[in-house]
Amino acid sequence: MLLARSRGSGSPAPGGEPASRSPFGGGRARAAHRVPWWRTRPAQGIGYAAPTALFVGVFFVVPLVLVGRISLSDWPLLAGNRGFNAPDNFTEAAGDDLLWPSVRFTLTYTALVTVLLLGLALLLALLVQETRPGTGLFRTVFFLPSALGLASASLLFLGMYSPNVGPISPLLERLGVVDEPVSFLGTPTAALWSTVALIVWKYAGFYMLILLVGLQRIPQDVYEAARMDGAGRWQTFRSITLPLLRPSLALTLLLSVTGSLLAFDQFFILTKGGPDNSTMTVVSLIYREAFQRLDLGAAAALSVVVLAVLLILNVAQFRGLRGTDT
Amino acid sequence: MNTTDVRRRRRHRALAAAVGLLTVTTALAGCGSGGNGSTEDKGGVMGPDDGANLTMWTRAATQQQSQALVKAYNKSHKNKVQLTVIPTDDYQAKVGAAAGSKSLPDILASDVVFVPNYTSSGLYADITDRLDALPYGKELAPAHMAAGTLDGRKYTVPHTIDSSVLFYNKTLYKKAGLDPEKPPTTLKEWDEQARAVDKLGGDVNGTFFGGNCGGCGVFTWWPSIWAAGQEVMNEDGTAATLDSPVAKEVYATYRGWAQDDITAPGAAEETGATWTGLFPKGTIGVMPMPSTTLGLMPGDLDFGVAAIPGPDGGQSTFVGGDSLGISANSKKAGQAWNFLAWSLGDEAQVEVLAAHKDIVARTDLAENKYAKEDPRQVMINTLVAKGTTPFSQKFGQTFNDPNGPWLALMRDAVFGDPSKVDADNKAITESLKD
Amino acid sequence: MKPHGLGRTPYHVLVGGLAALFLFPLAWSAWASVSGQPGTAQQSGYGLGNYRSLLHYDAGLAQYLWNSTVVSLLTVALTLLVSLMGGYAFARFTFPGKNALFLLTLAILMVPYATLLIPLYVLLGDLGLQNSLFGLSLVLTVYQLPFATFMMRISFESVPRELEESALVDGCGTAQALVRILLPAVWPGLVTVGLFAFLAAWNDFIAPLILISDSAKAPLPLAIANLRQRSMGAIDYGTTEAGVVVLALPCLVLFLLLQRHYIRGFMSGALKG
Repeated sequence: MLLARSRGSGSPAPGGEPASRSPFGGGRARAAHRVPWWRTRPAQGIGYAAPTALFVGVFFVVPLVLVGRISLSDWPLLAGNRGFNAPDNFTEAAGDDLLWPSVRFTLTYTALVTVLLLGLALLLALLVQETRPGTGLFRTVFFLPSALGLASASLLFLGMYSPNVGPISPLLERLGVVDEPVSFLGTPTAALWSTVALIVWKYAGFYMLILLVGLQRIPQDVYEAARMDGAGRWQTFRSITLPLLRPSLALTLLLSVTGSLLAFDQFFILTKGGPDNSTMTVVSLIYREAFQRLDLGAAAALSVVVLAVLLILNVAQFRGLRGTDT
Repeated sequence: MNTTDVRRRRRHRALAAAVGLLTVTTALAGCGSGGNGSTEDKGGVMGPDDGANLTMWTRAATQQQSQALVKAYNKSHKNKVQLTVIPTDDYQAKVGAAAGSKSLPDILASDVVFVPNYTSSGLYADITDRLDALPYGKELAPAHMAAGTLDGRKYTVPHTIDSSVLFYNKTLYKKAGLDPEKPPTTLKEWDEQARAVDKLGGDVNGTFFGGNCGGCGVFTWWPSIWAAGQEVMNEDGTAATLDSPVAKEVYATYRGWAQDDITAPGAAEETGATWTGLFPKGTIGVMPMPSTTLGLMPGDLDFGVAAIPGPDGGQSTFVGGDSLGISANSKKAGQAWNFLAWSLGDEAQVEVLAAHKDIVARTDLAENKYAKEDPRQVMINTLVAKGTTPFSQKFGQTFNDPNGPWLALMRDAVFGDPSKVDADNKAITESLKD
Repeated sequence: MKPHGLGRTPYHVLVGGLAALFLFPLAWSAWASVSGQPGTAQQSGYGLGNYRSLLHYDAGLAQYLWNSTVVSLLTVALTLLVSLMGGYAFARFTFPGKNALFLLTLAILMVPYATLLIPLYVLLGDLGLQNSLFGLSLVLTVYQLPFATFMMRISFESVPRELEESALVDGCGTAQALVRILLPAVWPGLVTVGLFAFLAAWNDFIAPLILISDSAKAPLPLAIANLRQRSMGAIDYGTTEAGVVVLALPCLVLFLLLQRHYIRGFMSGALKG
């Protein structure tokens, strides 16, 4: 089959173009005296990276360029492109009454989630890091929620928080903690904390795992040495565990901040941005522009701005971490 | 851009050829099996039934009706409709994405309040001539027809009708010493009866409403305003009058229920996810709900239905539900019309819709044989003629959007600061004009 | 860090209490899916009514499970293939554009999902892949690449270079070295990447919502989202919780089966930062 094909391709053009010739043909013969270009290390590297490049190029860069183009055009979702109108979409987006409240809310939410998530994840990691009887089981239990999808987890909590079927409120009433049904999503504060609880529950185990790996990489003899020096528990934790855990903490920080700044699904399912627009995140705003107000142009403009901010933020974070690391 | 267009066209042509081939094959198969169909009319008033495969989208909220209709159609026709159900909250996103790339299905159902926007964006094909030729083309639910008419041309027909009506629990009425055969005829009576039932205490509550759900407010509050002869918007849907004295009186009644805990817990945060789930449990005295829930009530629940009244009487309803149209990019408009025309015929209306306790789309069939078995159904069917379907190009983003201006008004009027209603009404007008 | 000084009992109370909190929502959803609730398929008492209504919903549970399985397996296969090759390239080769491509891949994490979907929808249409499970898998794979490529790069970097070099000296090509020598060494990393790709593809809702327009091709999460809404968007909690359970079970089982492997995956490459 292979032989036939390489002969077939050879015959119509007897002069031959070696470059386009199949590598199984002439290439192998010449390899004896000179490394052909396609066997050099950079060329092979490019070869291995090609699928990644193809995927990223076709399904990320091209759509991204299109988003850029949409952001510069009058583009109603239903009617399609009506031509260039820059910078109208950007000024319109900046003039949205909900923009600044949603930016503020997104930042508050990000700070809250990140602190609680990292704190709990670290506590869990410390609790289950040793091999005592049962720790394996506990690790599994803490990690289990991570196996759920965010949408399923949100639906689950929607049921838990529901005033009709939710189990928490009746439980608290029976225990005498509260006198009347708790409204988990009814006030801005309650809605925020209820959503944070969901996210912490869902992701703490995953972050615990990352930190656990970091903990296990700290050599035991460092602890031994500290104990010899008579360091207390708290002191050991502060001067040994925390600094040596920094790379893992940095990774969880990066993931948590980026993820929280782009939060959408959980609010979409639990609160729809309410009550009284108090839980609108920036991505909810993008979604609203595109699919409620049907203005793709404004949605794209907001996305471009969000992307730019996140890029700057992450580059800064990267720089900062690298700068202090060495 | 041009090259992709050419490519796309070429692909369509290949597809059309394939479909054509398929059509021939199925026709031959029909011959072999003896052929029982005499409906071999090409075109004509009903459009061709020649074994075409049609695609159709509907939202989850009304899927039961759509599925029943499609099933009955596929059983009796050579054309086959393939129905796709899409989550209600995501319908706009889905339609928008498909409209942008001209890949809408042949038949597109839509929440009737979104129809004006879809029509003016050119999503639907003009069916005026076909409709005018249809014998029962004049008997279709007027509110739905108005929503689907633009500049005198018609684009959609009624598909399912979901109307808001008052449901009341007769068992609880008896317990509270009320006459179970006398549902409220004014908002004031409604208020008194709700408060009387609420006094029963325990798990029982007087009423319930979706206080954090713009769509619910539109659906259940506006009929009380209309019942008093007051409009909520101007005729072309570009300015709101939701600050009228009548409207404020309606809001005040709801505000009283919220403040005095006459409603079941959770009204303030109800986003529309569960608001119809409480009444079937038998713990709510009287509340407005969609007429489509009539067929879903538990068998042992003793309840009645009544029209939603205005502050001092009168009655009205929000005529919601779905409209049906042929998408502008459909290559099988004739066959799609065959489905539309059939779905409005006597058989589909009576044997499919009415048999499932649903409202019929034709005014001349209101008193059909199934409706006569259940007086509640006749009441709902005749109420539709008194109802309204509001019209606005910007309906969804103004009234249904959970972050839009109407929900802000609802919440200020009932839970927050009622003095903001006038300003909120201005914001709604801004959004409508936009 | 050595013992916390916490005695056995307080330690167990603390960890046990936390574990109970973590398990509670899962246990509740399992309970709610079989307990009676007016207005659902399980009107009263305990039973499998909600599961029965799920089983026969629209195209049928079996069809949705099949679609989800196809999409998930395709996504896992594509992610593994692309990230295995990509990770190898980034870890062991130098070539022009290497850093730019790596950063670009990580940047995928920073773009709101909802924004890219409309352009992707148009793009898939041009490629003739609209409304196809394969097209959906391609998109889901792209969103797996940041984590997968990062993970595989680190996995390759933690394999001693000598291992590969000795193979090359023996006359193996890089492809042979990759398959014979390196593959076993980065196996835990692959399991981790595969598991996460599976979980993401299995659970994703927004991409299929936009990209699939045919009930018979819908994956399970989309069907459950449809199912949960009644008139005016009212939620049927019973069936929803049954759906959550059906969605979660394969994930939990897979996760428990592969636990040992992917914990090693995390350890081996170890996210050095």
